[in-house]
Amino acid sequence: MTTLKIVNLHVSVEGKEILKGLNLTVRTGEFHAIMGPNGTGKSTLSQTIMGHPAYEVTSGHIYMDDQDLAELSVDARARAGLFLAMQYPSEIQGVTNAEFMRAAINARRPEDDPINVMDFINKLDEKREFLSMSEEMAERYLNEGFSGGEKKRNEVLQMMMIEPKIAILDEIDSGLDIDALKVVSRGVNEMRSDDFGTLMITHYQRLLTYIVPDFVHVMMDGRIVKTGGAELAQKLESEGYAGLRNELGIDAHLTDEDANSYFVEG
Amino acid sequence: MNKTVELDMPIFPKVRYSGWHLDEIEPSLAEVKERHYINDQAFGIEVNGQATAYQHVPDALTAQGVRVMSMLKAQALCPELLSQYVGQVIPATTDRLVAQNFHYFNTGIFVYIPDDTQVDDVLQLALNHVATQGQDMMARIVIYVGRRVKLSIFQQMHTLGEVKSKASVVIEIIAATSAQVTYANVDAFSDVTTAYINRQALVTEHATVNWENASFNDGNVITQLESHLRAEGATSHAEVIALSSKKQVQGIMTTVENSGRHSVGHIFQRGVILNRSKLVFNGIGRIIKGAKGADAQQESRVLMLSRRARGDANPLLLIDENDVTAGHAASVGQIDENQMYYLMSRGISKKIARKLVIRGFMGEVLAKMPTKFAQQLIIDEIERKLQDENETS
Ligand SMILES: Nc1ncnc2c1ncn2[C@@H]1O[C@H](COP(=O)(O)OP(=O)(O)O)[C@@H](O)[C@H]1O
Ligand SMILES: [Mg+2]
Repeated sequence: MTTLKIVNLHVSVEGKEILKGLNLTVRTGEFHAIMGPNGTGKSTLSQTIMGHPAYEVTSGHIYMDDQDLAELSVDARARAGLFLAMQYPSEIQGVTNAEFMRAAINARRPEDDPINVMDFINKLDEKREFLSMSEEMAERYLNEGFSGGEKKRNEVLQMMMIEPKIAILDEIDSGLDIDALKVVSRGVNEMRSDDFGTLMITHYQRLLTYIVPDFVHVMMDGRIVKTGGAELAQKLESEGYAGLRNELGIDAHLTDEDANSYFVEG
Repeated sequence: MNKTVELDMPIFPKVRYSGWHLDEIEPSLAEVKERHYINDQAFGIEVNGQATAYQHVPDALTAQGVRVMSMLKAQALCPELLSQYVGQVIPATTDRLVAQNFHYFNTGIFVYIPDDTQVDDVLQLALNHVATQGQDMMARIVIYVGRRVKLSIFQQMHTLGEVKSKASVVIEIIAATSAQVTYANVDAFSDVTTAYINRQALVTEHATVNWENASFNDGNVITQLESHLRAEGATSHAEVIALSSKKQVQGIMTTVENSGRHSVGHIFQRGVILNRSKLVFNGIGRIIKGAKGADAQQESRVLMLSRRARGDANPLLLIDENDVTAGHAASVGQIDENQMYYLMSRGISKKIARKLVIRGFMGEVLAKMPTKFAQQLIIDEIERKLQDENETS
């Protein structure tokens, strides 16, 4: 079993404190969801776990089992078993999707023992078909000219190819129509095992009807303010973030959209 | 070299090369007879110094009058044909370095493709600098592509030997009416070669010459690349990639001159600079009065990968006609940190991520190289230069 443990995490971006003492533990075998209004620090949390250089940990720790992630570079964190499906994946012209994924897999293997090309192609074909992605996408340049939905699918494809221990999925549902959402959810559910845990970040409850979480955490103003089971997402659906905020007596500012709307699809 | 000294040296903005003494050249008679860079059975020729190390033209093409031979052979076998073309694209009196090459070249390649010839294979030309004795290479390549011919050329240049010396290479291409030429080259002289390279094409009515130029030399080099769009509908896309490393200077000046109506000239340059090296892109789009409906565009981007790298991208549009479309963009920047982060977040090491980003940056030209060998050569050259980078810094 692998455990991702976040202890009293404070993070600043450009001198402004965004995460203000966040605690969370995710184990392999568990599906967690974090929900929260826009601008509350959900992407900041995911980027900080992965090690993005713009996010400064001012106090607190993130551990993978006994390893303090502060000591690991971004690529070493990934090789330790972390994966982040990004809200805004980069486009890289001139590097094909297939070449990129092969480099990612080989990075986890001894230098003199790269993955057999046929094994790689077979695995890629299998996962790609599972996600209803066309054959030509393997030879297309990495995310270049991909639609929003294609990018999300491609993030999930990479996750299925790399088989991480803990995957953070930052809004993989945004911009997806219902069919694409079902496909992407199928991919994540396919990964469910004792050796895989996930932390799904979402703004909307909709995703959680397709990928049922074991735990739901509500994040506001840089902290987790409430934790529950799948039913907490439903409660949020009917009451909205404003309702919860008032109930908990938190002094958090919500954008108009978050305060007034009740999970209308974005 | 008295015949030439009264002419001026060519102007390369932002590159100081007078200390390279390119106008003091001693034409070498050296030769290497073994073939190094062309596969057996390939359509083409390899010339090493004064020796022809490989030559093959399929019988069917020979029967149609196709000629691919060393310059020495052409001077002996078909001097009249040759003399119709030498100096046609680049007049001998253009500048001191052109004149010097015109008067003293003693090796090179001549290619003649008659009108309407159907050529299926890529024409491969290798011209290597034999640097074994300290004298210099003085070479000229002249290529005539007949009317309506479609031809894809892959040309390479390397150094054989370890003795510091110079190379002057002038390349002239004539694309007759409606000819379609792709000219891809990998210039990969080693650090013992200080070079002057000048490639120019004369593009006639409805003809196209597209350049895919890869400058991966290790020594100091000035390279001129130029298309003369002389007639209605002439087209040229000049695409350049360059990688500079260690302490070298590479100055590249790419020019497209539109004098034909509705001629189209696009310049696209991508350069990467490592270590303490220098790379300068000068892009010049010149539209001559009367070239109505002409289109001149250019885009040059340079990535500096070390604090001590020096780079420049200078676009210049000289327009003497109103009824045209023209535009330019240029930038000098650093590697995209978000791309690096994205790749590394998948477990890819910084070293490999950097290589992928650099290769990606040059990907558009890489993808257009006409043979797998040419693509692999560039990928290997990128790898080699990055390897050298780690050893020196
Ligand atoms: N890279 C960044 N540069 C500057 N500000 C940032 C950056 N990332 C996040 N922020 C700021 O941090 C706050 C939280 O943003 P984010 O983590 O993206 O929230 P969420 O994902 O919950 O919508 C916002 O005020 C945002 O502007
Ligand atoms: Mg976000």
